Amino acid sequence: MITPLYLIFYFFSALAVFSGVMVIASGSAMRSVLFLVLTFFSMSALWLLLNAEFLALILVLVYVGAVMTLFLFVLMMLRTSAMRWREGLARYLPWIGLLVLMLIGVLAMILTKEPVSLIMFRVLPVAADYNNLADLGSVLYTSYVYPFELAAVILLMAMVAAIALTRTPAAFSKTQNPHQQMAVKVRDRLKLIKDGDTQ
Amino acid sequence: MIPESYFLFVSALLFGLGVAGIIINRKNLITVLMSIELILLSVNTNFITFSYFLHNTVGQVFVFFILTVAAAEAAIGLAILVILFRERGNIEVDQLNTLRG
Amino acid sequence: MDNLLSITIAVMLLPLAGAIVAGLFGKLIGRTATHSVTIALMGIVFLLSIYLCNQIILKGHPAIDATLYHWVASGPFQWDVAILLDRLSAVMLLVVSFVSLVVHIYSVAYMHDDPGYERFFSYVSLFTFAMITLVLANNFLLLFFGWEGVGLVSYLLIGFWFQKDAATAGGLKAFIANRVGDVGFILAMAVILMVFHSFHYSDVFAAVPAMSNQTMLFGGHVCSVITLICILLLIGAMGKSAQLPLHVWLPESMEGPTPISALIHAATMVTAGIYMIARMSPLFEYSEVALSLILVIGATTCLLMGLVAVVQHDIKRVIAYSTLSQLGYMMVALGASAYDAAIFHLITHAFFKALLFLSAGSVIIALHHEQDMRRMGGLARSMPITYLTFAIGALALAAIPPFSGFYSKDMIIEAVHLSTTSGAHYAYLCVLAGAFLTPLYIFRAFFLIFHGKKKIHGPIYENGWTTLIPLIALAIPSVMIGGVLIYPMLFSTPHLLGDSIFVLPAHQWLLSASASYHGALSMAMTAKASTPFWLALIAIAISWIVNVQHASIGDHLKSVFHRTYAVLVAGFGFDRFNECVWVRGARALGAFFYQVADLKMIDGFFVNGSGRLIRFISNTGRLLQTGFIYHYALVMVIALLFFVGRFLLGF
Repeated sequence: MITPLYLIFYFFSALAVFSGVMVIASGSAMRSVLFLVLTFFSMSALWLLLNAEFLALILVLVYVGAVMTLFLFVLMMLRTSAMRWREGLARYLPWIGLLVLMLIGVLAMILTKEPVSLIMFRVLPVAADYNNLADLGSVLYTSYVYPFELAAVILLMAMVAAIALTRTPAAFSKTQNPHQQMAVKVRDRLKLIKDGDTQ
Repeated sequence: MIPESYFLFVSALLFGLGVAGIIINRKNLITVLMSIELILLSVNTNFITFSYFLHNTVGQVFVFFILTVAAAEAAIGLAILVILFRERGNIEVDQLNTLRG
Repeated sequence: MDNLLSITIAVMLLPLAGAIVAGLFGKLIGRTATHSVTIALMGIVFLLSIYLCNQIILKGHPAIDATLYHWVASGPFQWDVAILLDRLSAVMLLVVSFVSLVVHIYSVAYMHDDPGYERFFSYVSLFTFAMITLVLANNFLLLFFGWEGVGLVSYLLIGFWFQKDAATAGGLKAFIANRVGDVGFILAMAVILMVFHSFHYSDVFAAVPAMSNQTMLFGGHVCSVITLICILLLIGAMGKSAQLPLHVWLPESMEGPTPISALIHAATMVTAGIYMIARMSPLFEYSEVALSLILVIGATTCLLMGLVAVVQHDIKRVIAYSTLSQLGYMMVALGASAYDAAIFHLITHAFFKALLFLSAGSVIIALHHEQDMRRMGGLARSMPITYLTFAIGALALAAIPPFSGFYSKDMIIEAVHLSTTSGAHYAYLCVLAGAFLTPLYIFRAFFLIFHGKKKIHGPIYENGWTTLIPLIALAIPSVMIGGVLIYPMLFSTPHLLGDSIFVLPAHQWLLSASASYHGALSMAMTAKASTPFWLALIAIAISWIVNVQHASIGDHLKSVFHRTYAVLVAGFGFDRFNECVWVRGARALGAFFYQVADLKMIDGFFVNGSGRLIRFISNTGRLLQTGFIYHYALVMVIALLFFVGRFLLGF
């Protein structure tokens, strides 16, 4: 039974998988990032199908708007070489493809296996006044308030770390070196010259 | 409604693409980071799917945290990438084998 | 009681004190003080031994069985240093202390010029301590302590002149041959501990009758427990008492000083095996097989070693082989359950053999350490006292009445004759042949040394009194002790040894002989009716003719029977056999194990091999550590697949 819902699902799934493939297969890093953005967009559409409106929006706003932009900035700063295939990769590619297919198959099997499968759960119709944001907020700010605060600290730390890591040592900054100060001798500072000495 | 296994299958495909991206990546380290983002995305999709079909919002809370940590990871990863580039002049994965035994 | 016990302890420890003083402080106190101290201590020990003997045997004091202290307590087992002074050990004590005293005195002169004077006296005293411990032990472990102690001192004393290669080699040989016997002894102790749960003689002997039918598995064969213990003990005794085929060390031990040959390798230590078997008579009585084995081994030793003695040229070796032969006699007596006769012969032999050795030593000193009989001759006139004492020793050894050897040997032959233990007929023939051979070789030596032409130029003088007094002191018992002891040892009721010896009623062969016993003198008088006596006389006559009258006959016989002669000179090839089979075999085995097991297996395979293996594994393993991220990711994926697959397929 093809409903519009299915159409939307198939469309965005196909788009997500296609752009995912392009992320790892495209010629330049810049294009990869852009395809990754497309993947995120399509997946956020799928998330909307799953009633996760808040997270879908967050994914687009924060991830695409911030993180992907960060990727683009970094790419612009770096001098990226042309994306060549690694030597000898063509030989291994079928094997790697087989391996990945097996992995996907195994994951699919395990996710649809009887004990895990959710077929037994009947999906309840969503209430008309269901508010995903209120629902998420009520959990996030009650049971998970401490992890939430911790997440904020992690973000802060990430910011500090990123700045500290990338900061170039400033040549003009005035710092003290106590060790050198202690080790200083008189002759380092003072030089006695005889009067009239040409030297 | 679309069965949950459809979503899970898409997510598995994305996961596989991410793993394949790490293994067969080109010479650019930044692709590895992007592949990791793909994997995280697929994991998040799983969480949301289960959250929806089990009527449990906790799954979405976890996605929230994962997004936070992933953002932090991306920031620090890129910072490391930048200093790596500053030190070596390139970010080619083939030359990053200091760990070789 | 307490009094006797403390005297016994003193007897045991005084020689040790002497050994310590001589050994540690000998150089400090000087030669005279050293021998004074040790001789004085030995004198005290001898006097105390006489007192103890008097108390135990003549006054009939009950046997002392006392624990001095607990040596080892391990689980259910408790091993003590404990002594047993009964009639048997009292008699042995007297013999040991007397011979030891005599040898101490004799050594003053014999060792006079030796740089190791103090060391020598220390060893001799130490030996006496070990021997007395062996004799006085009341359990197997202390017996073994003494047993090993005498073995150790024997080794030290054979190799006393350690500058001589032959001496050190002889010492080693004695030590190794004794180890072979000790294996048997140790195994016997293990079996005893396993079966009887005790090392104490009285516990073991009390439990023997109940055990006589019990069997156990040994080396894959079911055998009687008692027989097994007895045969293992016999192997120990064969090592210590130099029985075939473990006898090879005794001739070599003659490299030691002559007093030592007299003390250790004739009178006391080598009789330890005889003493031990006599002590274990309650065990051996219950094993017909072991008794037969003793008979056969003893008889064979007696005959073969007598034959070898006939062709020896070294004066000490003749006496050494004679000792082997006489030990064979004692073994035969033990095998015929005539323990009293064995101990009797042990006592008489101790005296006359020590006498022979010391007389030979006297000759050797006079001739400035010449030991080859072919270069001696006509010494009778120069050394009258030595001549006399050697003659007494020889007559006693040859069992000529009324000398002591006659009584003891005659009784052994009689006992074997009467015995019906299987092998007794063979043993009887052997000891008869031995009775013919003994006079033949000892009088050959006697005639070669003292009669015939004088071959050594220059004057020869009789030795001083420190040498001669011990000879005389030994000559007197050599003449008399047989006649004096025969009645109390064998025929009185109770016997001299009393309940120390246990003989099954069925095995008391000499009981019938006692009916015809009418005193020592009449026995000597009626000797003309006995076969061994005539054999001895004929042998002496032959010896006289061949060695003195017509020396050419000997050479003629030698050339006619040159094959036989070669076999005899080679001592039936036991040494050669040991050399070829054991020594070379052990060397080949050692070389094999060195080449294959040590070099290839342990060094090559285990030591270097484990190193190589680890290097190989790590060389292989480091191939995984390429340092490339995607390789690690690949490994992760494979592992993930593996574990998820395991989970899915449920294996």
